[in-house]
Amino acid sequence: MFKKILFATSATEASDHAARVAFNMALNYKAHISIFHVMGVPTRGFSQVVLDVKTREEVVLDDEYVAWVEEEVKTYYAKQLETAENFDIKVAIGFPHREILREARQSRPDLIVLGGSTGEPEESVYKRGMVGSTLQRVAKAAPCPVLVVNRPAASFWGGMSNIVFGTDFSKASDAAFEFACKFAKALGCEMHIFHALDISTMHMGRMLTQDEIETRIRESLRRIRGKYISKIKGEIQDYAFDVWEGVPYVEVVKYAREKHADLIVMAHHNRKTSEEDNRLGSNIEQVIVRAGCPVISVNKQVRN
Amino acid sequence: MPEGTLCNKKPIETEEALKTLLGDTGGKTYYEEMKSLDVDSELLWKTIQNTLKSRMKTWLEICAHCGMCADSCFLYLINDRDPKQVPAYKIQSTLGEIVKRQGKVDNDFMHMAMETAWAKCTCCNRCGMYCPHGIDIGIMFGYLRGLLYQQGFVPWELKIGAGMHRVYRAQMDVTDEDFVETFEWMVEEYEEDYPGLEVPVDMEGADIMYTVNAREVKHYPEDLAEAAILFHLAGESWTVPSSGWEQTSLAMFAGDWAACKMQVESVYAAMERLKPKRMVGTECGHAHRATVIEGPYWAGRSNGKPPAESIHYVEWLAEALREGKLRVDPAKRIKRPVTLQDSCNYIRNHGLKEITREIMSYIVEPGYFMDMAPNREHNYCCGGGGGFNGIGLFRPQRNKALITKRDQILNSGADLVIAPCHNCWDAIRDLEEEYKIGIEWSFLKPLLISMVEIPEHLQIKE
Repeated sequence: MFKKILFATSATEASDHAARVAFNMALNYKAHISIFHVMGVPTRGFSQVVLDVKTREEVVLDDEYVAWVEEEVKTYYAKQLETAENFDIKVAIGFPHREILREARQSRPDLIVLGGSTGEPEESVYKRGMVGSTLQRVAKAAPCPVLVVNRPAASFWGGMSNIVFGTDFSKASDAAFEFACKFAKALGCEMHIFHALDISTMHMGRMLTQDEIETRIRESLRRIRGKYISKIKGEIQDYAFDVWEGVPYVEVVKYAREKHADLIVMAHHNRKTSEEDNRLGSNIEQVIVRAGCPVISVNKQVRN
Repeated sequence: MPEGTLCNKKPIETEEALKTLLGDTGGKTYYEEMKSLDVDSELLWKTIQNTLKSRMKTWLEICAHCGMCADSCFLYLINDRDPKQVPAYKIQSTLGEIVKRQGKVDNDFMHMAMETAWAKCTCCNRCGMYCPHGIDIGIMFGYLRGLLYQQGFVPWELKIGAGMHRVYRAQMDVTDEDFVETFEWMVEEYEEDYPGLEVPVDMEGADIMYTVNAREVKHYPEDLAEAAILFHLAGESWTVPSSGWEQTSLAMFAGDWAACKMQVESVYAAMERLKPKRMVGTECGHAHRATVIEGPYWAGRSNGKPPAESIHYVEWLAEALREGKLRVDPAKRIKRPVTLQDSCNYIRNHGLKEITREIMSYIVEPGYFMDMAPNREHNYCCGGGGGFNGIGLFRPQRNKALITKRDQILNSGADLVIAPCHNCWDAIRDLEEEYKIGIEWSFLKPLLISMVEIPEHLQIKE
């Protein structure tokens, strides 16, 4: 399932939860893990002077410094690397989202694991002068699924056995579904298919009546049966599905909590990266921020 | 004649030499070696005799030392009106002195001249506008830099920059393959959002041949995607050359005349090969100056023009908006106090001041555009022009120089600065980092992408 994992990390506490998941997966699935750290953002000239993301100081780059950072990363993950069998460490210079995507384009990983947010845009060296977060930008354009861990993944110690697939019935969701199925089959997981009926936004300027809500829930259940269940029957043993009404991201998080999910899979098809979207976030971004388990975002048909 | 292993009179010709020089962190050894670098006075004087023509001889002669240029120089003003920062003094005490002494100057003198040429003048050419005799000191400093480069007295970063052009025909280590690959990658990333988006490489006879700044390829390739998207939406027939795509010239900042020629000739060769109707360069000031204004002379073109009509990105954009090839959604125009950075290299030096303001009239809601004072051809340099941005040795002087622009922006009342020039963009970003005045800065392309209407036939079909 996962032969190559690209773990993009700030090598700080912000990435610790992601690190645990990434190294565990590599161990469990005997995958090669590439620890990728964007060490600094170029400030001028031909990238010789970079703003070090950890010290926040301007440093003049040379081989020695790069080697030192590599060593730092290695030290930071010393414990995890004791058990890692197949890994490499790479450091790069540039804007993180771009360099992560560049690396992914070259090494073609099966999964990108992203570290958590390094803080507010105005504080973070990474985000200076760029609109949208690293996550948004990577998730939008990644050639493979992107796994994000934002909160302590408490349940994640012994592998993944319980997946929630959240759908809005879009084309992008089809790709996410395909991935979720593959994942569930390969790892023998339980699969929970879930749709949230969005009642947060006004429908043509008015509130929905309870009858309308229930009618729509029934419609959505029918759609799930037609679109997804028919495809997994006989392939995945344990599955369930449900539709709840509410604010979609809240409902997804609640549902995942109730089902003791250890993974949420959703499509990422928010094409915008503007500041307002960044603040409010699309549903998946809100799910990532709030969920108690790792979230995988899929944006397109995954290459085999 | 002690020549250093890193600091010497030889230009960088190979990738290996480039890497060796880059490996000298911050130019530590390089500058150490420079302290004992000999001046080849004979070569210096011979070069002057061959290249110092009547225009500059006259300028040096007729300068009346009236001091009218003093107040025009932002570096004079920001450095407490230090008499040593008066433009006329700066050039007379360096180039003037070398000529007077027929090249017989020593190492200390060359160090002083190097600091003057790169840390006390950004070649913004503002003083030239205020000189009653029309003496253009910026041009003379450009010339002086050439003499200094030839003798090996050039800031470390610029020696490397010029070497990059010699080795890669680009200001960074970006190969032709990297360029094409990156452009195609960007188009792949955006083609779902813009059906039919493509990057035509080496298409002959296109209306537009687009050239860029290697920084875009290396660090923010989104800029390439944005250029492609805007050409696509405007329905342009355009192409990029697989070689000769780099429009900039750090060689010009360094004073490496031979590399300047090599660089523009690669772009002109692409024009000759692809025969586009026009060349459009990216949002860069010095690149335009190098390739469009000065380049033809470096390349010895008798008509003083590039092989194809060459325009700046702002000229193309203004035209596209004027003719309705691109339409701005009025609801999405900028509705916050916004100002515009006039890039010396194509505003003062190429008269495009009204073109950029025409663009503002299309993209900014009336009432929100706040011009800096002074503006247009009287505008001050961003503070980092002429290579100043990139030189570590002169960083403190550069940071001080940014104060002029900082205060101009603050006085304008704007919190968004549109800077259609890479160098200005960098300087404004740096001034925000250095002084934290709470502004944002942007090129034109991303702003346009956020507000142009997508023609029906190019919209995503559900």
